Amino acid sequence: MFQKPSPSIALENEDDVNGAQMGAGGPDEVETVVGPSVNVEGDFASEGNIIVKGSVSGSVHTSRHLSVETGAKIMANVRAGGARIAGEVRGNIKVKEDLELMATARVVGDIEAKVLKIDAGALLFGKVAMPGLSNTDNKSTARSRGNLSKKGDNPILELAE
Amino acid sequence: MYVYLYDNFLRQKKFDAEIRNVEVRLTDYGIAGKILRLTNYTDAKQIIDDEIKRGAKTVVIVGNDHTFGHVLSRAATCECVFGFLPIGPENTIAEVLGVPVGVSACDVLARRRREKLDIGWMNNRYFVSRLQVKAAAVRVIYDSKFSVAANDLMEVVVCNLQPFYWKRDRDDLEPRVVHPQDGKLEAFLRPLTKKRFWGYKYESPSVFPFEEMEIVGKTPFTLEADGKISKELKVKIKLAHGKIDMVVGRNRKF
Repeated sequence: MFQKPSPSIALENEDDVNGAQMGAGGPDEVETVVGPSVNVEGDFASEGNIIVKGSVSGSVHTSRHLSVETGAKIMANVRAGGARIAGEVRGNIKVKEDLELMATARVVGDIEAKVLKIDAGALLFGKVAMPGLSNTDNKSTARSRGNLSKKGDNPILELAE
Repeated sequence: MYVYLYDNFLRQKKFDAEIRNVEVRLTDYGIAGKILRLTNYTDAKQIIDDEIKRGAKTVVIVGNDHTFGHVLSRAATCECVFGFLPIGPENTIAEVLGVPVGVSACDVLARRRREKLDIGWMNNRYFVSRLQVKAAAVRVIYDSKFSVAANDLMEVVVCNLQPFYWKRDRDDLEPRVVHPQDGKLEAFLRPLTKKRFWGYKYESPSVFPFEEMEIVGKTPFTLEADGKISKELKVKIKLAHGKIDMVVGRNRKF
């Protein structure tokens, strides 16, 4: 009952676990986990998946998936292959593939993602940019401007006149 | 030529029969060799270096996890092939290496399936199985890029060969096992938070794969590496790639 923390507690239930599957967590599934009540400061970079449950300040970079759990706090610019955010992020987020903002997410910063999914209840303050759309949009606006200059009639100017 | 390093605990009578069987099996395979007995004060590196000069090619450690750590923490740099014959209790590393405990380990040794294993380097010496910093107020700096600290105390475990199991929560049925050939060491950080009245409780662990890290404490902290306990103020831990040439079994976990 009044047991002090000891290594044996830390390595809890070794015997119980021995019976379980041994091969879990292979080299391909290398994961960095920032646990709760842990503070990370600096340029936090990883080649594998990252799970954040504590707080991170500085910058976060991974080429794979980033998961920000409920209660986690990131005060940093984030770059990731994919991301699922359920905690708080104060900084710009740049994601190559899918970005998912869960209902508990709070994001203050600009977002850039290929695919964006926002659950009802998520809070977002910042610009959203989606690379695929911006290219086509630029082209279409350029074309429309070209057409207008050729014709020589600008509807806005006409209205002003 | 084979050299066998027997741990001192194998002198106990209860191991006599098993040792005899092992020696018979080794003779059958034609790989019997010189037997040397280790004590707590024996420098394994010096013994192995002397034997290499006399023509030894393979050094076989006979004992348990403690023997394995005791020998390889000093002798990891020796230019020879290492083998392991696990005997008795406390043999978790053998399981990772795919070497069965007891007489059947001789079969694995005779097959000589070799692999290069990574080991950890810590303040001028090697550690093979596991390094542990007992709960203390420490800060961990990874690859000189970012630092990790806890609000209060923190326990750090760095695993290489000896498996470290942890669960995400009570219902988690998939424990994680550290593999020696990850190309990285794995550090498990467990912060402790104060309970309401007295004592501490462990938070869920943080996991950071790394190649170089530094543990810094404001006051000296207790560190245990391969069973050896020391007090340190600053520890630098690195990964040494493919340092040990080891005979392993087919059922190895990497």
